[in-house]
Amino acid sequence: MSHEAEAGLPPGILAHHFSSLARQNEAMRLGMWLFLATEILLFAGLFTGYSVYRFQFPEAFAECSRHLELTLGTVNTVVLITSSLTVALAIHFARTDSPRAAAFCLVLTLLLALGFLGIKAVEYSEHFRERSLPGKYYAFEAVKTPGAAMFFTLYFIMTGIHGLHVIAGMLVLSWILRRTLQGRYSSRYYTGLELGGLYWHLVDLVWIFLYPLLYLI
Amino acid sequence: MSESGQPSRALHADESHGEHSHSAVPYLVVWIALLFFTGLTYLTGKQHLGTWALPIALIIACTKSALVALIFMHLRESSGSTRLVFVTALIFLVLLMFFTVADVATRFRPSTPAGAPFGTERSQPEGLLEHELPEE
Repeated sequence: MSHEAEAGLPPGILAHHFSSLARQNEAMRLGMWLFLATEILLFAGLFTGYSVYRFQFPEAFAECSRHLELTLGTVNTVVLITSSLTVALAIHFARTDSPRAAAFCLVLTLLLALGFLGIKAVEYSEHFRERSLPGKYYAFEAVKTPGAAMFFTLYFIMTGIHGLHVIAGMLVLSWILRRTLQGRYSSRYYTGLELGGLYWHLVDLVWIFLYPLLYLI
Repeated sequence: MSESGQPSRALHADESHGEHSHSAVPYLVVWIALLFFTGLTYLTGKQHLGTWALPIALIIACTKSALVALIFMHLRESSGSTRLVFVTALIFLVLLMFFTVADVATRFRPSTPAGAPFGTERSQPEGLLEHELPEE
């Protein structure tokens, strides 16, 4: 059991059933990517449904898209891309033994995530005000083309599930921030932080496709 | 617990993964590229370029995703197994979307039951079977 002490790691990082840290790291990365693959397939189903109805109602989708707040959607894209950068930098700083800088980058990421949700809340409240809502709750005066309700159904499901992922990502990153402040991550071990970052980048990846497909038809 | 030679070699390889000379410059470059492509998709999207709008938007989105996956998500420096998982997910995504879209894009009225939501006159090949279509 002495290999843990040899590596000079804080206690509780290397599980006893792994023969070395390198093997544990590789298993952790592979496990995370398997989980991300299931997430990709979850969103693949939603994007497929979107494609089918966009084919069926091209005019309604284009018309509804032009009633979304393009400026807010664009600002949110920039916010998420920047939050991806701050997460990547947090991993970089942990890797180069600057835990305080890493913690600062994680705090920035959480603030950007809050900003994203705030902007999304402004958009949602506007949809509720003008009643551009999913399914039978649709009563939007400006667009009465058949298929308009379907656009907003897909819009709410896709941005809603994406929003839940943003919230989940924030919880994961908060937990990782606590561990960063406890001094758990360094150039010797940063895989936990790296995996949290991977989840956050996936949230960004999904939005990269949602933005042009919903806001820019 | 005995340490064989192989894990220690792997451990050494992992230490080079987390070396002190690791640079943040690629992240900043990717961030600027992502902002550029966001601007590009915004400008081209606002033009409403008709047939070309969707392919252009998807090409830009795929480029942005490739940058995020390769640099931010470290796929460029990952092991083969993690890359294999990612590529497998992409293959299943393409299978799902390609055959579904190929189906809805090639339907025409004689191939769908009366009153079915899919198969509009828009997607019907011109002149085909027009005299045989049931009256609606």
